[in-house]
Amino acid sequence: MLSMKNISKVFKTDLVETHALRDFNLEVQEGEFVAVTGPSGSGKTTFLNIAGLLEGFTHGDFFLDGVNISNLSDNKSAAIRNEKIGFIFQGFNLIADLNLAENVEVPLRYRGFNAKERKVRVERALEQVGLAARMKHLPTQLSGGQQQRVAIARALAGEPRFLLADEPTGNLDSLMARQVMELLEDINKAGTTIIMVTHDAELARRAQRNIQIVDGQVCDFTMYQGEHGSVAQAASAPGKTAEIISVASAVAS
Amino acid sequence: MFQIKPIVSMLLRNKSGPLLLLIQIILSVAIVANASFIISERIGLMSRDSGIAESEVFDFSIYNFDDSIDPVTQPLRDLDIIRQLEGVKAATLTSMTPLSGGGWSSNFSHGTSEEDRKDGPNAAIYYGDEQMIPTLGLNLIEGRNFYPDEVNAGGPELASLAIVSAQFAQDTFGDEPAIGKVMYRGNIGTQPMKIIGVVERLQGAWVDNDNLELSIILNVELASSFNRILVRADEADIVDLKESIPAALHKEHPNRVVRGFTTISEHRISVYRNHELMAAVLSMMVVLLLLITSLGLAGMVMFNIERRTKQIGTRRALGAKKRDIISFFLVENYLICLIGGVLGGLVAVQLGQQLMTLYSLPKLDLIYPLVTVAGLLVLTTVAVILPARKAANISPAIATRSV
Repeated sequence: MLSMKNISKVFKTDLVETHALRDFNLEVQEGEFVAVTGPSGSGKTTFLNIAGLLEGFTHGDFFLDGVNISNLSDNKSAAIRNEKIGFIFQGFNLIADLNLAENVEVPLRYRGFNAKERKVRVERALEQVGLAARMKHLPTQLSGGQQQRVAIARALAGEPRFLLADEPTGNLDSLMARQVMELLEDINKAGTTIIMVTHDAELARRAQRNIQIVDGQVCDFTMYQGEHGSVAQAASAPGKTAEIISVASAVAS
Repeated sequence: MFQIKPIVSMLLRNKSGPLLLLIQIILSVAIVANASFIISERIGLMSRDSGIAESEVFDFSIYNFDDSIDPVTQPLRDLDIIRQLEGVKAATLTSMTPLSGGGWSSNFSHGTSEEDRKDGPNAAIYYGDEQMIPTLGLNLIEGRNFYPDEVNAGGPELASLAIVSAQFAQDTFGDEPAIGKVMYRGNIGTQPMKIIGVVERLQGAWVDNDNLELSIILNVELASSFNRILVRADEADIVDLKESIPAALHKEHPNRVVRGFTTISEHRISVYRNHELMAAVLSMMVVLLLLITSLGLAGMVMFNIERRTKQIGTRRALGAKKRDIISFFLVENYLICLIGGVLGGLVAVQLGQQLMTLYSLPKLDLIYPLVTVAGLLVLTTVAVILPARKAANISPAIATRSV
């Protein structure tokens, strides 16, 4: 579903060259729930941005759902983001001036759905997150957890192939975080692939696979199976990532 | 893709900025539409054809203070001298100069009874001889010119023949032929004046008068101690004639003043100066208003881009193409502009009514508010497109970063 081979991302200024990702390799299979952890500045957000086609990369090969992402036009990237990827942001990123239904409708309008189709999808998505009764409310009238559920509804409304979640519980208290996590698990069980960046080790353990990024490389992974039970753990030194990932992929498949 | 409904929702939930812009646009449309109308009216007035070869005709005055100078024969003698000068194509004594702001006028009627004299048209009167038409360069479209022996030297009461402007003929006789018709001057005149010719166009002296196009030439050389003369010459010869005419007239008789020498073109500039000034001031005001409005629009868009940076990034992340972001800002501002345009148009009509009542201006033509709104839409596009393109270039990656 998602395949990154030797991806590197270099930010250049006049004086400094920063390698945000280097020889980054990752395979994610359809239906997986992958948690990405790592210290601040390790490259998690850069990985998420590249995986979500929000920014480009310097070197390497990236295939998403069989499509070569290298050198895609801006329009094509936007279309793929709209059709195949659902985003969940740490700060929810809801539009304050739009009510819940209008917020959920935003990506559907860019998709070109007609009003009837949009209405059906908005109602279904908000129902899925338990907020159908509040679709005319403004985001500011909701709690943080509810706002994140609206953001999840917005991500789901277009029925994407996979969800990219950036610290989805980072701004929530533990109760709300648990509710949101349970919602994500339900979505994953329904067949949607999820890649979740998080600082929270507890939440990461609930994913099927845990990828740790350090200094722009995948350096450690933990494989879980069933009801959060661990079946495999591995550690890698830099340069061994590809090998470990292939082991992980073999286990996952 | 047009997203009118959510844009309207956003505008309604965040009213203050758009409302201020709306008020600015309403006032701009109201003022610009009326100002453009007045400018157009003024330009229309200034560009009216006088029917005269303006750049080739000039006037001057002769003031005879010496009692030994005969007030009737000397002007005719002076006219002969002038006509002999090199470069002079034609010359005539006249009672007034076109577009000069001063002259003679009177009511005319087609009978002598009190009833007939009611509502007679008021027309400018040119007393002159058979050279009046060639001097002014008029186009005789019906009848004939005066014969030299039909012209009388002396007072206005000697007038018996008339050549009228086509507008005078139309206003007075409608579709009936004017040639052969008899008129009487003023409320008391009893001397019949027969119309023998019609010129295509001849304006009077007063450019703000509704009857500017109503003019009559009467067959009298109005000779006195103070005479005005019209001369026609090639433009290139006029400078020399300004020297040679006074020299020749002073050689004939030194004790008099010869002054003036103003072409009709110069009279036109002078008499329309206020109109030109008003058109210039209003044009400047229109440009400034449009500039301020476009700056307001651009400022509003730039402010919104700053305010919505994260939102724009999020929209891009959710699948908005660059053109979607541009059209978002365009549609948002087109909506404000159209609402402001409609309301501004209504205010413009109301303002036009007030101006019509208070300052006797013509009724505002509705095309002006419509054109103003259309112009404003173009202005909106220009003012919004550059900041909107900047907004479209905001990276979708901004959605995952703290702004």
